[in-house]
Amino acid sequence: MDLLLIIKGESRKGKIVLTRVQQKSNVPFDRLKIYLSELKDLDMIQDETSPTPTEKGLQYITEYEKVLDFMKRMGLIYR
Amino acid sequence: MNNLVLILLESISAVMAAVLVRFMIKPYRMTGESRYLGLPLGFAFLGISYIFMGVSLFVEDPLVVDRVKWLQLFMGAYGFVFLAVTYYFSARTPQRGSRIFMHVIVSLAFLVLVLLFIILFLPPVFAVPGYREADEYFRLFSMILAVYVTLTALRSHALKPEPKTILAPLGYALLGFSQYSFLIWSLDSSFSAFAGAHVIRIASLLVFLFVSYKAIIATPQEAVV
Repeated sequence: MDLLLIIKGESRKGKIVLTRVQQKSNVPFDRLKIYLSELKDLDMIQDETSPTPTEKGLQYITEYEKVLDFMKRMGLIYR
Repeated sequence: MNNLVLILLESISAVMAAVLVRFMIKPYRMTGESRYLGLPLGFAFLGISYIFMGVSLFVEDPLVVDRVKWLQLFMGAYGFVFLAVTYYFSARTPQRGSRIFMHVIVSLAFLVLVLLFIILFLPPVFAVPGYREADEYFRLFSMILAVYVTLTALRSHALKPEPKTILAPLGYALLGFSQYSFLIWSLDSSFSAFAGAHVIRIASLLVFLFVSYKAIIATPQEAVV
């Protein structure tokens, strides 16, 4: 889910560069590709090489942001 | 008449806790991450304790009342333990460790439940202390845990102060204060302390309902990444 949030953040800046996604997610490149493939299979992103969130992905992100907001309001900050 | 009012107050608390659990289980249902189970489990146990308290006020058989009251004590304490463990691990350990610990806690909880059943419902094996005496210790224990959770939530708020993050510490503080009021009732049997404890508890549950509603149902544009 955090990866999808990073992708969403990067997509706001324009073209998504995988190296920047990898740096921000702090995940080895080979594992990042596996995660991206999983996200593609789940129809959360459009393309693995230059991932952009799909409509379904954006909806999921919105719901996940609500979860994060709820945890924040409850004083729960996970590291 | 007094009993009817108290049963009503316990029922209201139980319904509010059930609604809270419905809200709070959503993060777990969405992500499948067990770290999100602590809150709903904690409030579920608290809700069950309110149901047991209501039943103990409703039933007339003293033997049943005694056993149900004991169950209520344990369920309430479990609720606070789950909440304290959730807050403790949210700030300290990586996800994997907290998941394992949560499983251990659930297993231990189950084990203690079985032991409790054996002690209460099978022929006497162990000497059980009087309910009133145990009630005082349990209330004190729950109050300490509530204070811990309040301080942890308050620390999160202090790290990044926002008006919306002050409500949860307030809710936990009220929950702890209701335990204090129950403790006073345990010591001096005053009706005002007992009724006050119920009112404060309902106020705290209302605070949590408001927080949950605002985050999960209302104003999606306020969501934070």
